[in-house]
Amino acid sequence: MSAPRPAGQRLDHHTLEKYENIWFGIATVMALFLFVTVLASFFSGTYPSLTGEGGHHITGVKNGRLNPKNFAATPFATPGLRQNADGTYEAFVVAKAFQFEPAVLKVPVGRPVTIHVTSADVLHGYYIEGTNINATAIPGQVTSFTTTFRRPGTLNLICNEYCGTGHHNMINSVKVEVQEP
Amino acid sequence: MTTSPGFSPAPQPKSAQAPQPASSSHSARQAPVIADAAYLASLKKVTQYYLVTAFLALLVGTLMGPLQALNYGGINVYDNPILKALLKSYYQGLSLHGVLNALVFTQFFISGFLLYLPARDLGMKINMKFAWFTYVLMTAGLLTAAVPLLTNDATLLYTFYPPMEGSPVFYIGAAVMVGSSLLVVGQVVNMWMRWKRANPGSVTPLVAFMSVATWMMWAVAALGIVTEVVFLLIPWSLGWVAGVDPLISKTLFWWTGHAIVYFWVLPAYIAWYAFLPNHAGGRIVSEPLVRLTFVMFLLNSTPVGLHHQYADPNISVTWKTMHMFLTFLIAIPSLLTAFSVAASLEDAARARGGRGLFGWMLKLPWGRPTFSAPVLAMVSFILGGAGGIVNASSTFAPVIHNTAWIPGHFHITVGTATTLTFMGISLWLIPHLTGKRMPSVRLASAAVWTWFVGMMVFALGMHWQGLYGVPRRALVSATAQSVYRDMPIAIPQLLTAISGVILLVSAVLYFYVLFRMLLSKRVDDGEVSSPIPYSEVISPAGTKLAGASALVRYTEPLLALWGVALLLVLLMYGPVLARLFANAELVPGWRLY
Ligand code: HEM
Ligand SMILES: [Cu+2]
Ligand SMILES: [Cu+2]
Repeated sequence: MSAPRPAGQRLDHHTLEKYENIWFGIATVMALFLFVTVLASFFSGTYPSLTGEGGHHITGVKNGRLNPKNFAATPFATPGLRQNADGTYEAFVVAKAFQFEPAVLKVPVGRPVTIHVTSADVLHGYYIEGTNINATAIPGQVTSFTTTFRRPGTLNLICNEYCGTGHHNMINSVKVEVQEP
Repeated sequence: MTTSPGFSPAPQPKSAQAPQPASSSHSARQAPVIADAAYLASLKKVTQYYLVTAFLALLVGTLMGPLQALNYGGINVYDNPILKALLKSYYQGLSLHGVLNALVFTQFFISGFLLYLPARDLGMKINMKFAWFTYVLMTAGLLTAAVPLLTNDATLLYTFYPPMEGSPVFYIGAAVMVGSSLLVVGQVVNMWMRWKRANPGSVTPLVAFMSVATWMMWAVAALGIVTEVVFLLIPWSLGWVAGVDPLISKTLFWWTGHAIVYFWVLPAYIAWYAFLPNHAGGRIVSEPLVRLTFVMFLLNSTPVGLHHQYADPNISVTWKTMHMFLTFLIAIPSLLTAFSVAASLEDAARARGGRGLFGWMLKLPWGRPTFSAPVLAMVSFILGGAGGIVNASSTFAPVIHNTAWIPGHFHITVGTATTLTFMGISLWLIPHLTGKRMPSVRLASAAVWTWFVGMMVFALGMHWQGLYGVPRRALVSATAQSVYRDMPIAIPQLLTAISGVILLVSAVLYFYVLFRMLLSKRVDDGEVSSPIPYSEVISPAGTKLAGASALVRYTEPLLALWGVALLLVLLMYGPVLARLFANAELVPGWRLY
């Protein structure tokens, strides 16, 4: 059984070189294919991409930056949802050790909402359970993204960036509501 | 043919019955003899010091692991009075685990391994005073950083994102420790350049080539973290500046933070490419291809770090997407590695009489830990790499970012591909350096297999929990709200808890073997009983540049390629950082632990 195979059947330089090249080609095509598919889902908007740096006009916020010690001049002074004159919805959220404000963010079902998050102290995470909303809250900076909640109900809002001893209890919620006519 | 301890040579085809074309196999490298015995002894000693320091860090760091696995099994042991006396919190333990395992163990091991290998491969003399100085400095940095870690004054986790603030002693110690690795870079590049001058027109031998390329890559990569710590965090923690911009810091951290994974894994690749064929009884497939792989890593490892920041604001999506593209490209050299090493193994198995499309695998020496450790590490890395592609895709990332999926992922990459390979290396390298013997092949083999099985179960449990959104870095077993109790995660929690127990057993077995070996008496000359396990080669790179293939000639000028690597990083990071600095918003520090 363990008799040596004829040497000719051991791997040789030329066969290997051929397979190497084929494999190199496959690997390259795979990498490019991945890139193209990600771009496709990117442009089709299957996930909420983050904007910042003045992508939104927010009072008191410049280039996506603000003073974390003083929210007074900004909408973050009164966190929560608001409806703009043009009918669009914006929500302002402040993360701080160890809770989000507002503790329950109420949003309308089926309507695009732009959420702006910042932090009053250290880094926090803004992750809504069961969704692909997953962003960093940074003191001095505003993270903005637009999303549409399609089903009514209450979702857990979990801080998923280490923020200190109370990190694992930093859980609040987002309440998706059917609007009163 | 060189053999490793306990190795029974593969049956060689007898020339009478099976004539083999002379050109199809090239004998294993004979490294130049080092005649100066005192020098060689000192070189071996400093290498051994690096390795032992590395494994002591791993021992302490790993102890925390099973406790964390229990946490992800839904069991909180952190209220236990004994544990409370030792650890102020889950997060202090986790900081120790991350720093000691991911930063200290790896860096010390690599500093020893990749100093020794090129010195032997080239037969060069290095300045031993400088080598010892570097070791002492690195260790001093480690001990300095360890104090605040142990006193709960740097419970920042291994990423130490500001504005969570730690004691300045931590940042200073960390800077000294990481900075010392750049001295090793200097020493290795210097010895290689002296060798080039002494051997004009020669091709750098493979092991030295891979080592030099790895160190060059690390030098480019380390610039980010060194800049962050030295210029931003130390002055801030000392109160010299009023604040810190968290996003600039995080961006500099990930400049290093992704490439560091290649710094961890390339030394393992060196062992897979150069030594594993010997352990298996096979041959290296193609030296020119290996050189190409390492050049790709040198060029492409660093300008990809923004893929860790998809969730961060104020960095343009265009730049994130460019880094994502380069991240996908860096999968190519890893895919080439999978091909080459698998071919080496098949070659070995067929030489041992293996047959069939897959049946040959049975002929490999699975019971030998110097063989099984790197191979199982590689199997683990194939799975880890597949998961890594998910992490790197900006569209998938939001689903798993900062969830338990991530630790699930990197315990089968750095925690197994690297760690298990290094464990396997220690089993021949320590006998080689010291003339001591592995005390028990069976126990060592059991340690290797249980580590592999434990980490597979761990990865399954953690990836699975991550898909439900269980966050990483959290004492989830003590969360007041019912969120995690309401998730359908009983099975993955159970798997995670069980894996912690398997891994504890594995660690006990491995460290027993390691320390039995280290504390035993020298029995023979390691140069003879456990030589560096060089392998035969099917397609060598040759020794003279004149007449070498184009691939060999174009990969030889590493200094120039190093410059290109630096340029690429500046191109891919320069504009991003320039904008961040222009809009910097300094914020004050906090201590919330
Ligand atoms: C006995 C074996 C091990 C077990 C059971 C284990 C378990 C764990 C667990 C459960 C976590 C997640 C903690 C959390 O996110 O809250 C973790 C984190 C981590 N582990 Fe391990 N681990 C082991 C060995 C290793 C090894 C060998 C390495 C690297 C060489 C390593 C590196 C890390 C790192 C870098 C983290 C991340 C720390 C952080 O998030 O700050 N672990 N480990
Ligand atoms: Cu948190
Ligand atoms: Cu990465």
